[in-house]
Amino acid sequence: MAEDIKSIGRVLQRVCNDLLKKQNVVATGIGYKTSAGERSLNLSIICSVEKKLPGIQLNSKDLIPKQIDGITTDVVETGRIRALNTHTQRHRPAPGGVSIAHRDVTAGTLGCIVKKQGQRVILSNNHVLANSNVAGIGDAILQPGPADGGQFPGDHIANLLEFVPINLSGGIGLPSDCPIGNGFAAILNLLAASTGSRTRLQAVRVQAEDNRVDAAIAKPLDDNDISADILDIGAIAGMTPGVLGMAIQKSGRTTEYTTGTIEQIDVTVNVQYGGGQVGRFTDQIMAGAMSQGGDSGSAVLDNDRNLVGLLFAGSDTTTIINRMENVFSALDLSL
Amino acid sequence: MRMTIQQVKEKYQTELMVLPGVVSVGIGLSEGETVIKIGLDGRHPDTEKALPKALEGYRVVSQDTGTIKAR
Repeated sequence: MAEDIKSIGRVLQRVCNDLLKKQNVVATGIGYKTSAGERSLNLSIICSVEKKLPGIQLNSKDLIPKQIDGITTDVVETGRIRALNTHTQRHRPAPGGVSIAHRDVTAGTLGCIVKKQGQRVILSNNHVLANSNVAGIGDAILQPGPADGGQFPGDHIANLLEFVPINLSGGIGLPSDCPIGNGFAAILNLLAASTGSRTRLQAVRVQAEDNRVDAAIAKPLDDNDISADILDIGAIAGMTPGVLGMAIQKSGRTTEYTTGTIEQIDVTVNVQYGGGQVGRFTDQIMAGAMSQGGDSGSAVLDNDRNLVGLLFAGSDTTTIINRMENVFSALDLSL
Repeated sequence: MRMTIQQVKEKYQTELMVLPGVVSVGIGLSEGETVIKIGLDGRHPDTEKALPKALEGYRVVSQDTGTIKAR
């Protein structure tokens, strides 16, 4: 059999370039032919195709011959073959959509390149670049992030330039020992509101100031180390406000390229930051499931590649996004 | 003049956010209608029962969003 494989290998070497030119063929190799779902002992040249089509739908030049030099062929459908997640790898220049983090953080996503007073800087979340308020200005930012093998100083790409502090006293203004009592007072208030009663119970205290963004910027050590493109999306066209029903896309470190729809706007939401810390955010955008841990910091764009928001949180069924216009005004940024 | 849905949401969100299990209040679409959407971190029958069907004429719809975490 070793002889067979060797001789088939010689044939394959001669014809593989022609086979790979045919429509849909993504790989060629040697293997056992599968007939009617059963693997035979018949060694053959296997052509992997993106999609298996009936011969009638193909040009004759794209048909794969049943035999090549007396060797049978087989066609299997594998779909498109892509390199394993490139978003977690080291990139120079680094585009949006790839792994990045403060040296003491695991990993998040480099959102995109923006301008601060004319200088190009990296935009992502506070909890990615500034370790949820804990980092110092000038701290080292690594690409990829430490969870993806990023090390100091080899992968040191930038230094923390500025962040918007997050108020993590969320749920805020409540006596923490009595959430239930407060809840019931609120229920009664709501019943009063919906029945038009003017008598209101006074259990709810004034809230502390709410957050609008989880955002930070970092200054690259060398401007040549960053790219204005976003991996899998391309160049940013501009900026536009997110509206209900808008189709959106993002490129992130964990779930890579995903799409979704804006399902809610004007969202007030309590976000868990670990260690029992909660941040309350207002004026947020909510989309469906289009992210996971590590996608934080991803730029969210509409289908015309206009910036809409900065992804920072979510659950199994939701994704929470800061409005990009709020991010730009909080950090005084431009495109 | 009738309040906008944004004004109604603004008026009631503080009270809505302290209900047990409520993690978000926003404006969304339900059956083609703009509604006030309440996100819950799981099942909370008492809260679901207590939520008004409408506020100032705008429908209130709850959904189980699960716990929302920074990611």
